[in-house]
Amino acid sequence: MSNVIQIVILGLALGGVYALMASGLTLIFGVMRIVNLAHPVLIIAGAFVTFWLFRLYGVDPILAMPVAAIALFCVGVILYKLIFEKEAASAKYSEMTVLLTFAVAMIFDGLLGWLFTNTQRVTTPSYATDAIFIGDVFIPTGQLYAGVASLVVIGLLLLFLQYTRFGYAIRATTQNRAAAQLMGVNVGLVSLITFGIGIGLAGAAGSLVSFIFSFFPAKHWEWIAILMSLVVLGGMGKLGGVIAGSLILSVIAAFVGAYIGSTWSTMTFFLALFVILLVRPQGLFGDKIEEA
Amino acid sequence: MAVQQLDVDNVIEARREYNAGLAAESKGKRVWQFPVLLLLVLALFPILQVTDGYNYVLHLMLYTFMYVAMASSWNILGGYTGYISLGHNVFFCIGGYFSGMILAYFGVSTLITAPLAGLAAAAVGFVIGSVTLKMRGPTFIISSIALLMVARILFDNWHFVGGSNGITLPQLHLDAQWMKVPYYYAFLLIAALTVWTSYKIKHSKFGLGLRAISQDEVKAESAGINTRFYKVAAFAISAFFVGMAGAVWGEYLTYIRPNIFLVILVAANLVLMCILGGKGTVAGPIVGAILLIAFNELSVVYLGSSELNILGTGVVMLLALMFFPTGIIGTLAAKKKLPRFLDWD
Repeated sequence: MSNVIQIVILGLALGGVYALMASGLTLIFGVMRIVNLAHPVLIIAGAFVTFWLFRLYGVDPILAMPVAAIALFCVGVILYKLIFEKEAASAKYSEMTVLLTFAVAMIFDGLLGWLFTNTQRVTTPSYATDAIFIGDVFIPTGQLYAGVASLVVIGLLLLFLQYTRFGYAIRATTQNRAAAQLMGVNVGLVSLITFGIGIGLAGAAGSLVSFIFSFFPAKHWEWIAILMSLVVLGGMGKLGGVIAGSLILSVIAAFVGAYIGSTWSTMTFFLALFVILLVRPQGLFGDKIEEA
Repeated sequence: MAVQQLDVDNVIEARREYNAGLAAESKGKRVWQFPVLLLLVLALFPILQVTDGYNYVLHLMLYTFMYVAMASSWNILGGYTGYISLGHNVFFCIGGYFSGMILAYFGVSTLITAPLAGLAAAAVGFVIGSVTLKMRGPTFIISSIALLMVARILFDNWHFVGGSNGITLPQLHLDAQWMKVPYYYAFLLIAALTVWTSYKIKHSKFGLGLRAISQDEVKAESAGINTRFYKVAAFAISAFFVGMAGAVWGEYLTYIRPNIFLVILVAANLVLMCILGGKGTVAGPIVGAILLIAFNELSVVYLGSSELNILGTGVVMLLALMFFPTGIIGTLAAKKKLPRFLDWD
């Protein structure tokens, strides 16, 4: 029994981090219908910001989160201005943006690999290797802190969306872009800022990733499918859905890892992605999606 | 002037004549001399090998032929039908392993078993396609990436085929001077066959249906096209040639390993070649393949590292998508400046 509790707790802690990793992705999809394949590589960019802050100045990875978030926010705004702003008129918009973000992912993959080489890296704050014992159950402090930190960030995001005027505008644009524009929402500005926030969340997630996984630039390809499975399970564009989806899937993956083998725990996400796309493409909590 | 009576037979007859006239006219305009001449020159090229010293050139050329075959093959699905697959190297891998295992265990050369490998890839493609092609647009693209990831894990952990270390294949007993020539002809043949098939499909009712799907799938379906079958068939055909190329490529390299076939850069190259040359045109993937391989080779010579190569590929893809989304052939054709020798459509 304690074994089961152990696995669930490990799964939930990891799920919290996955939720933060995928939340920016779902936010961007909700507002702009951009499937951002460059999201995982930007998470790794955030991890590198944290890594160098830690290595050079000894900044704690969790405290480095705002720095990574702001740095990546700027990257996001620049990317949006350079690339995506003018694509809005394209007839095959959503397919086009998938290919564009794929190209962006390759650019960052190559750039980071060239600058920092493709070796495994990890930040090592003291808590990363510690664990707390409650009875038979042990909780690795690193994963615990990371899970809590990401839930705090997601909580702040939800508060921002719920109670600020700009948050209203973002939610309105997610629900119905044309209607929001008619009601006087500056949809262009909302898109720009949301893209920035989404990429900023990737940066914040990168800070956490830097000490719970080891990372290297080319690692992002396998994360693409993992994050997509979380987003799709929750219903694309649904922030609440992605949190639930992450927690559910990573607990399942933890069980698969414990009882079948760690190689197959990543397989859970990929197979889940296939099954969800086929059986219920709108996700667990999504509405019926319109044809792209 | 007497009013001509138009009964039904007459209308159909007149229409047939008119269509035959159109067909004859376009046939007259079509350039067939250049492709045939090109094929002839390429077929005679290895004669230069008697003087030795052209191995590098031969390697580059057969590498280009391989990518011409794969990009043209990808184009049948991605270009005509508009379903963009980022996991097409899965079939490259299946072809490579199918023939590679036969070679390793029974000693039958992949040059003979390549068509079987193609059939195996097409069969797998048919099954996978009938599942994944239910999705549309970006969802399909995501599923194709997931397919690649699933295949990578499976092949990395399948001990019968050597797992992530792969297996070594026996070599042909030939002098180094003539070593590359059989593979050169094999890839030339595969490439020519693929381009010819691509051309034939584009000019058939089947191809018309595929292009209708890429325009508007719902309308295509209401016009009576069995879109489901068309898509899956296109997927299987495009898997066939990629599988054949994979089979020969494995023996040429003398070993097969998952990370030769199942890396995303291979898939990215296929997509980029078609976009660069012109998606949905016959000559586009050929032009794209030649340009991209030249670019890759130059960047390896002058920049060296493979990270910069990925970076460069990404930049080229981004610029092509942003400024020439219809590719070189498409852009030139729209401006009516396409040279006649490149007008293969």
